[in-house]
Amino acid sequence: MISSLPPYRLIPPPLAAGFLLFIICIASLLLGAGDVTPADALPVLFGGGSDEARFIVLELRMPRTLVALVVGAALGCAGALMQTLSRNPLAEPGLLGISAGSSFAVAVMLMLGASAATLTVYVSQLGALAGCLIVLSAARIQGVGNDPIRLVLAGATLTGLLLSMTSLLLMFDQRSADEIRFWVTGSVAGRDLDDLYHLLPSLAVAIILMLIVIRPLAALSLGERAAQGLGHKPGRIRLITVLVVALLVGAATAMAGPIIFVGLVVPFIARAIAGPDIRRTLWLCLPIGPIILIVADILSRLLVSPAELPLGVLTAIIGAPVLLLVVRGKRMPAL
Amino acid sequence: MSLKSLIPSLRQMTGALALGLIASQTLAEEVQLDTRYGSVTVDDSAERVITLYEGALDAAVALGVKPVGAITTRQGDSVASYIQPSVEGISIVGTARETNLESVIALQPDLILASSRLSEEQYELLSAVAPTIVPSVNVFQQEGAWKEESKLFAKALGREEEMDKVLDDIAERATGLKDRLDASMPDTGRNASLARWMPQGALLMSNKLFASNVLASLGFEMQTAGIIDENRAHSSPLSLEKLSLIDGDWLFLATLNEDGREAVEAASKSPAFQRLEVVKNDRVVPVDGQLFSSTSGPMAANAILDRLEMVIEQTEQ
Repeated sequence: MISSLPPYRLIPPPLAAGFLLFIICIASLLLGAGDVTPADALPVLFGGGSDEARFIVLELRMPRTLVALVVGAALGCAGALMQTLSRNPLAEPGLLGISAGSSFAVAVMLMLGASAATLTVYVSQLGALAGCLIVLSAARIQGVGNDPIRLVLAGATLTGLLLSMTSLLLMFDQRSADEIRFWVTGSVAGRDLDDLYHLLPSLAVAIILMLIVIRPLAALSLGERAAQGLGHKPGRIRLITVLVVALLVGAATAMAGPIIFVGLVVPFIARAIAGPDIRRTLWLCLPIGPIILIVADILSRLLVSPAELPLGVLTAIIGAPVLLLVVRGKRMPAL
Repeated sequence: MSLKSLIPSLRQMTGALALGLIASQTLAEEVQLDTRYGSVTVDDSAERVITLYEGALDAAVALGVKPVGAITTRQGDSVASYIQPSVEGISIVGTARETNLESVIALQPDLILASSRLSEEQYELLSAVAPTIVPSVNVFQQEGAWKEESKLFAKALGREEEMDKVLDDIAERATGLKDRLDASMPDTGRNASLARWMPQGALLMSNKLFASNVLASLGFEMQTAGIIDENRAHSSPLSLEKLSLIDGDWLFLATLNEDGREAVEAASKSPAFQRLEVVKNDRVVPVDGQLFSSTSGPMAANAILDRLEMVIEQTEQ
């Protein structure tokens, strides 16, 4: 199923995935919980349509599609980087306590009275970074590469601890409880595009760092000695990668709440298509992440109309079977 | 199992307590009450009353009885703020979901007034402590069920006539306010929605709710848009695309917090909310969420009427 060489394909997989993403974005603009049907919404894409349809498509569906696009791409890439770094197919921001770290940081800030979107982004990224460092240092005590279970256990422990601390905060402050509780289940609905613009600087930094680190990271996956032999410094590579993951997950969490399993499923699919080399899988994660998240968001609108399902619930429903597949697989995909 | 085995001994204890009380109060009369769990006999001069239902606390206070213990209001740390001044220092014995049996016993009640939703299991435990009154009315199937509940609680407290007077006064006041509203705004429609603004979307509240009943007594026609399941207090959080379901001539908007203005502020940030006709016509009324979505009873009815009187005064200017 997963070979070290990319299999020959008629259309390059990134191109095919990009095309699929485009189709799904259009579907996301056409489908929704409201009374505006795809037939009503279609003219809007060409500049026409009724006033009601224009509002629903441009003011409600477009922003959430863009947010899901960015969040999905960020989570997919963060998952791929984290898995390569830890050489563990189970390393996922949601499972490793990174999302929980950033949720906790945001919950604290919301309780202290903060609500400005700008503030939450940086707070959430700091929380993610702290979560990353704690879990990596906990797992490093015995060496990451030899013991993937240790990393996951440390992550699960940290997640549990942070989640219960977040719940504790909710008990003390009923006023912000609603806001936090909603945010914890994850959603891309009703987000302001302005919030998205606030993320762009840190995402740009993350992308630049990612471009710098991707080649050394691929070398590192050959082993620490091989990487050193090629002139890379493993310690520095790890640090930069963790920073990138924290920036990406923090941004995604600030925008849509702690959405789990996307960071697990996306690299898994990408590896199945393109093989284990991070230089290939990472570019494939860019379209696959948004595809999964936007499909989940479309389902969240359609399944229980006129209400909506929390996005985090749907990604968990989609992601859990994949997690089981990974765990029950005869051998873990080599990283 | 251990709790069950406790019951006989509790019964004996409270039996002894009741005997002592009857001996000391010769004026007490026994009253027969029809409750959800059968006929219950109470002594109508109970002095230590515990209310495990906001509607019961309200009814008791309206009749001049100050309960020794009560439950918190939904999402609150204590009783609802409209009734707080009347019951300073009251002991909290739990929430609507969960009663702390130990604190109930510690208060040594001689009467417990509970919600119609009290489970049989809980009833067995509580009635071993003191006579427990559980209304048999279904709040979601009976128009004005809160009045029946208030009357039942009044009977248990031996003050039926006072309650009749209180309820008549409320009906009269509502009619007066309705006439004033009709006089000042004869041309405006009366379609109205009661909604709670939550971060995950607006909840449309049932037209069977207590606050909806009070609003209806002023001539408001409470909308449900066909999206509220039977026996449920409110709809699921609405998608922003479906927000027009809460549109109408009037919108009473609350959060679970007391401050309705905060809810309106949060809602106003949403472009979908701005598009509602009721917002463009400026007929959104911010209301206290505790009062309008958690409580019931005559005191709450008067507090709601106070709020509506303020609205009518504004329209009269």
